[in-house]
Amino acid sequence: MNQLAKDTQSKQIAAARLGIGGPVGSGKTAMVERLIPVLMARGIDIAVITNDLVTAEDAERVRRSGLIDPARVSAVEAGACPHTVIREDPTLNIEAADELERRFPGVELILIESGGDNLASTFSRDLTDFWMFVIDVAGGDDIPRKRGPGVIRSDLLVINKTDLAPHVGVNLPKMHEEALKVREGRPVLLTNCRKGEGIDAVVDLIEREVLFRR
Amino acid sequence: MFDLSQTLALLQFGDSAYPAGGFAFSWGIEGLLADGFVPSRGALEALIAEHLTFRWASFDRVLLGRAFRAESLEEITEIDRLTEALTLTLQMREGSRRAGKALIGVASKLGGTRAHAYRQHMSGDATLGHLTVVQGLVYRDFGVTLPAAELLSGWTLVTGLVSAATRLGAIGHIEAQASLATAREVLADLLLAPVPADAEPQSFTPLIDIAVARGPARQVRMFAT
Ligand SMILES: Nc1nc2c(ncn2[C@@H]2O[C@H](COP(=O)(O)OP(=O)(O)O)[C@@H](O)[C@H]2O)c(=O)[nH]1
Ligand SMILES: [Mg+2]
Repeated sequence: MNQLAKDTQSKQIAAARLGIGGPVGSGKTAMVERLIPVLMARGIDIAVITNDLVTAEDAERVRRSGLIDPARVSAVEAGACPHTVIREDPTLNIEAADELERRFPGVELILIESGGDNLASTFSRDLTDFWMFVIDVAGGDDIPRKRGPGVIRSDLLVINKTDLAPHVGVNLPKMHEEALKVREGRPVLLTNCRKGEGIDAVVDLIEREVLFRR
Repeated sequence: MFDLSQTLALLQFGDSAYPAGGFAFSWGIEGLLADGFVPSRGALEALIAEHLTFRWASFDRVLLGRAFRAESLEEITEIDRLTEALTLTLQMREGSRRAGKALIGVASKLGGTRAHAYRQHMSGDATLGHLTVVQGLVYRDFGVTLPAAELLSGWTLVTGLVSAATRLGAIGHIEAQASLATAREVLADLLLAPVPADAEPQSFTPLIDIAVARGPARQVRMFAT
């Protein structure tokens, strides 16, 4: 029994874990696809976990993108519980992240894409070091005003699909301003993942706040 | 049978909210439902009884007891390897290991000494960490008796199956409670019969094994198994 009771703590430095949440279709996977090349160009060693809702589509999409070694992309099933798998019971995601770290010892940053939800989801602090919440202009400019936990409590709020603002009658500067107001000045960034606009600012923030590089 | 503190421990560790990834495993229910094998509550209850009688009681429970009693990492590894060798399909093996790793991860972080030591020991060997072995290890860490550990193992299987069926829309919330009550009786009968000292682990659940094995071939899939 002594052998079993022995504590053999040997902790290598863990990779930072970055959660990417937000409603279905807001552009989370598009964000992952935009972040990968920029992060890699800056010399950051990364891996990806997707929490697909009904199929392994996101994981397959990222694996086939040619942007990253497919072995560095893991899929975690959510059993129809997209909130549970990142909040109340993030154990499968934690194990998937630990496994990626074990297989790729130099990995510095693991992106964890949530399967999507309404505005009420949050990431467990035990799972992520930092989490961003991605909404899009087409969801309506009243989303920030609704003050969902994701909008308010995320470390970074991203308003994506800025290119669509004129087509859906959204006053972008006003939406941005309202988002900053409900978040009491905490970061809100605007992106167009279709064209890759605004991505550098997101990566700057990740480097500063998550990787403590700048 | 169980004193107050054991009973409270059972409520905690047997709670479907206990964070060990259980919600992501349907152990064949998702596939069987998609293929029309779960047309009614009665069919679901028959499947649960099949799981319990022809797999859990004769296979998992036997291995769990061995893992619970094991005193060395080598012994546990041995039991884990046997579990791997005796689990027919790749998908069942993978599911069992993923569920086991989630449970041992939590137990290890909660300070379980056996859990911690075995987690370190098995890391790097992708074939280790089967759920039933981990349950034996971890529940002893948590200070519950072997009968309580068996009860937890059987009951968490039942609640996992029923809640998967509920989330998949096969049954409603009231029917779910009725199915749990039916499964309780099946499980109680099984638990009352002791495991023979010379019992060898065996299972025969072809329908369930095939359903789990076909998982990855399905276009739409929400559960890990
Ligand atoms: N116009 C436009 N479309 C986008 C943008 N970002 C993502 N999309 C599209 O929005 C849809 C949903 O994106 P996806 O990344 O799959 O969303 P997810 O469900 O949040 O992962 C896809 O058709 C994307 O091509 C953007 O910035 N502008
Ligand atoms: Mg996506």
